[in-house]
Amino acid sequence: MASITLKGLTKSFNAGDDAPAAVTDLDLDIKDNQFITLLGPSGCGKTTTLRMIAGYIVPDKGTIHVDGRQISAPGNVVPPDQRGMGMVFQNYAVWPHKTVYENVVFGLKLRKLPSAQMKKKMEETLALVNLTGLEARYPNELSGGQQQRVALARSLVVEPGILLLDEPLSNLDAKLREQMRVELKRLQRRTGITFVYVTHDQAEALALSDQIAVIHGGRLQQYGTPQEVYARPANRVVADFMGLVNLVPAKVVSVNGRTGTVAAAGDLKIDLAVPDGTKSGDNVEVSIRPENIRLSTTANGSSTRAKISERTFLGNISEYYATLDSGQTLRVQTHPGQVFAVGDTVAVEIDSTQCSVFRNPASAAAHS
Amino acid sequence: MTVQAISAPMRVSRPRNRLRLEHFVMGGAVLALIVLVVLPLGFLLWGSLRGEGGLSFQHFEEVATGRLYVTALKNSLILGAWTGLFSMIIGLALAWAVSRTNVPGKALIQITASLSYLSPPFLTAIAFVYLYSPNAGLLNVLFRDVLGLPWLTFNVFSMTGLVLVTVLHTFPFVYLLASSALLSVDASYEEAAQILGASKLRTAFSVTAPLVAPAILSGTLLSFVNAIALFGSQAIIGLPGRIVTLPTRIYALFDYPPEYGLASALSLLFVIITVAALYLQRAFLARRSYVTLGGKGARPQLMDLGPARWLVLGFVILTFIVAIILPYSTLIAVSFSKSWGLDFWKGLTLANYKFILFEYNVTQRAILNSLGLATVAATIAVLLGAVIGWIDLRTRIPGRKLLDYFALIPLGLPGIVVAVALIQFWLSMPLALYGTLTILLLAYVGRYIPLGVRAANASIRQIDPSLEESAQILGASWMTTMREITLPLIRPGLFAGWLLVFVPVIQELSASILLFSSSSITLAVAVYNLYETGYIEPVAALAIVNMVIIGAAIFVANKLGGGRIASRSGAQGLAS
Repeated sequence: MASITLKGLTKSFNAGDDAPAAVTDLDLDIKDNQFITLLGPSGCGKTTTLRMIAGYIVPDKGTIHVDGRQISAPGNVVPPDQRGMGMVFQNYAVWPHKTVYENVVFGLKLRKLPSAQMKKKMEETLALVNLTGLEARYPNELSGGQQQRVALARSLVVEPGILLLDEPLSNLDAKLREQMRVELKRLQRRTGITFVYVTHDQAEALALSDQIAVIHGGRLQQYGTPQEVYARPANRVVADFMGLVNLVPAKVVSVNGRTGTVAAAGDLKIDLAVPDGTKSGDNVEVSIRPENIRLSTTANGSSTRAKISERTFLGNISEYYATLDSGQTLRVQTHPGQVFAVGDTVAVEIDSTQCSVFRNPASAAAHS
Repeated sequence: MTVQAISAPMRVSRPRNRLRLEHFVMGGAVLALIVLVVLPLGFLLWGSLRGEGGLSFQHFEEVATGRLYVTALKNSLILGAWTGLFSMIIGLALAWAVSRTNVPGKALIQITASLSYLSPPFLTAIAFVYLYSPNAGLLNVLFRDVLGLPWLTFNVFSMTGLVLVTVLHTFPFVYLLASSALLSVDASYEEAAQILGASKLRTAFSVTAPLVAPAILSGTLLSFVNAIALFGSQAIIGLPGRIVTLPTRIYALFDYPPEYGLASALSLLFVIITVAALYLQRAFLARRSYVTLGGKGARPQLMDLGPARWLVLGFVILTFIVAIILPYSTLIAVSFSKSWGLDFWKGLTLANYKFILFEYNVTQRAILNSLGLATVAATIAVLLGAVIGWIDLRTRIPGRKLLDYFALIPLGLPGIVVAVALIQFWLSMPLALYGTLTILLLAYVGRYIPLGVRAANASIRQIDPSLEESAQILGASWMTTMREITLPLIRPGLFAGWLLVFVPVIQELSASILLFSSSSITLAVAVYNLYETGYIEPVAALAIVNMVIIGAAIFVANKLGGGRIASRSGAQGLAS
């Protein structure tokens, strides 16, 4: 429905306990009809970014355009009530003194819709979020999931071009969260509204998004599809944040164009793509996801020896800590049917196509 | 759902930084605060420094050296100190009994404290005069002349009498703060001490006492500040006993010819005392925060007093009798008697009420004035409070904290000082407000604005900003958001604040006494004037009428203010 362009967006706050996180020089191009996620740990600036898009926070620098029209520039900011967006809040913000119907119809009344049209919209929207029949209830008579739907319906009924969602699922229990995830995705497809979704939950981001913007320390770290962000993290911060990862110190043994060979943790040789400008002898870090490591009892040419130092059974998978001869410990996830005991010696093999290399590791300290 | 473009309140072409309605409302609130508080105080200072030939400290010098003023200051401090001490003893004893023991009749303690706080102290003073004035006081006559027990007589026109009458009004401050502190001390703190081997007494002194001490001290200081500010009881009891205090001294300075400069200087001295006490009080209260650390979980353990609990109950009943039964039954008895004396019951009559209600032409005007002023003042105070609280909590306007401080200043202003400041200010203005209902309204709103701000502040804090933001993003203007979301949600809190202002305003005497005229006379002033002119029995009738009106107004206001919201304020949407 609407595209959003952020250019050089910057906001800082005076330090204080409740001061929001700063954002520095953020560029982001959100295409029409997309489900995009601002992902990052708490305090990274993702909510600040969302609130600048909504207009609650006035940026220090930078511009925001919607469909090519400028809505925010220094000294020239459209207030939230004139941006025509929708927003769903973490705590739902369903008005406790209004019924479900009164909550949802609020935006339509402001738009002075003819009553026949208003009635039709209400019916459609309430049906869309499965609230039909609960119109007369007050929020305190609803479950958390139902309140969430009221908040959604209230935003969707006015058919905004953009819907902003601030961790909307974080207050729901795990099962409901999963269900709402599916519904949100479906809603976005059906309405074509551009969803901008803020979360710190990388699994949620991967499941929902067309594009993920990973934010850390107030800066955009990577912007790409879930597959790209997960499999090809742009830097170690992204790799570290997107699920479990072994960040192993390594030395570049040889470089051949865009691929090279590194020796990780001393004796673990991996052939993989390397960043431009990597030279033989460089100290780097290799990120290896636990599911891309195979353990077996029989060694082969490319495998390395390790000892199982810990094991955890997690139901659908088993997790092992395998310690290499060099002392480096790797976290490994395997099929639960594959059973090793603590102290067993195993052969470790790494799927090098799924690994990434980062230059200039912050420190040589092992990051297990 | 088919998507059409109905979502278009996006009017990008409009000028964006123009003044919006909210700027006018907020600006108006700031202006009101300046006119109500800042300018009058400025003129008070100016007036105190303005001498014969330009600025000088001559008024302050006179106040600091004149025997009359030094005595008044000394008397005020003595009164405040004794009142604070006895308020602490009584308030703490009752608070401890309610929250920590198995004393029977806890409801009675609550009622005693609430009624004592609500009843106008100048009425209690008048009642005690009927009982204990040295010659004609009913109980004095009874003990001296009838029973022949002259050592049981008591002269109420003394510092002791003044302290007694004042304490009956101020002990609830200590009671309220101490009982809430005692109730919020998590029992696990005390249990932790006991499991380590501390006895009950040791636990009380080494764990409980330090935790609640800030609350007790804070209540004591509040009693002190309130005690020295009460004009009514100090005039009624103090003046016949030749105990001149700061409020009565300032009042006397307005006898012809009025000494504005001296009155201003003395008022400032007064303010310094109360502000210092309130500063200490806030400092103590700030240290109280750790009391609630334990959360809501554990209840304090109740001490089994054994037979001693009947002794404690006796103390409670005695307090109830002295603070409530004695003064009000006296006033009722006097109001129905032809002539007050030992055999008053022989000549019961309704004549006093007939006189007060139908013949004394001041009464009806005073009732209307008081009800109207209290209603309007309370409404303005909470609405102003709501805007100021909103600015403080929801905007990032520079100077908003300053606004909050200015709104709290009047807490340290005794009523009579507010009156002096308003007189200084408005006499310099080209508007003839002196003696009008408007200047009384300004005095009441200015004096009680802190209560409105506090009530609004507390309520707005309870509301997550997202509730307002979600209306805004749907296209609601500031005014619509306020009307539809904010005000309905803070209504219960605002209403509580409204009552908090209404109750003291309808019995206000300290400021009114300097500001009223015959057309703007209020109930409290009418009672005081009638008392001053020496009518005995009709005063009691008017006092009872006064009490009935206060009671009825509180009752009606409470009925009207309930509403659905209160029961819903626990909704999850309000949390977080």
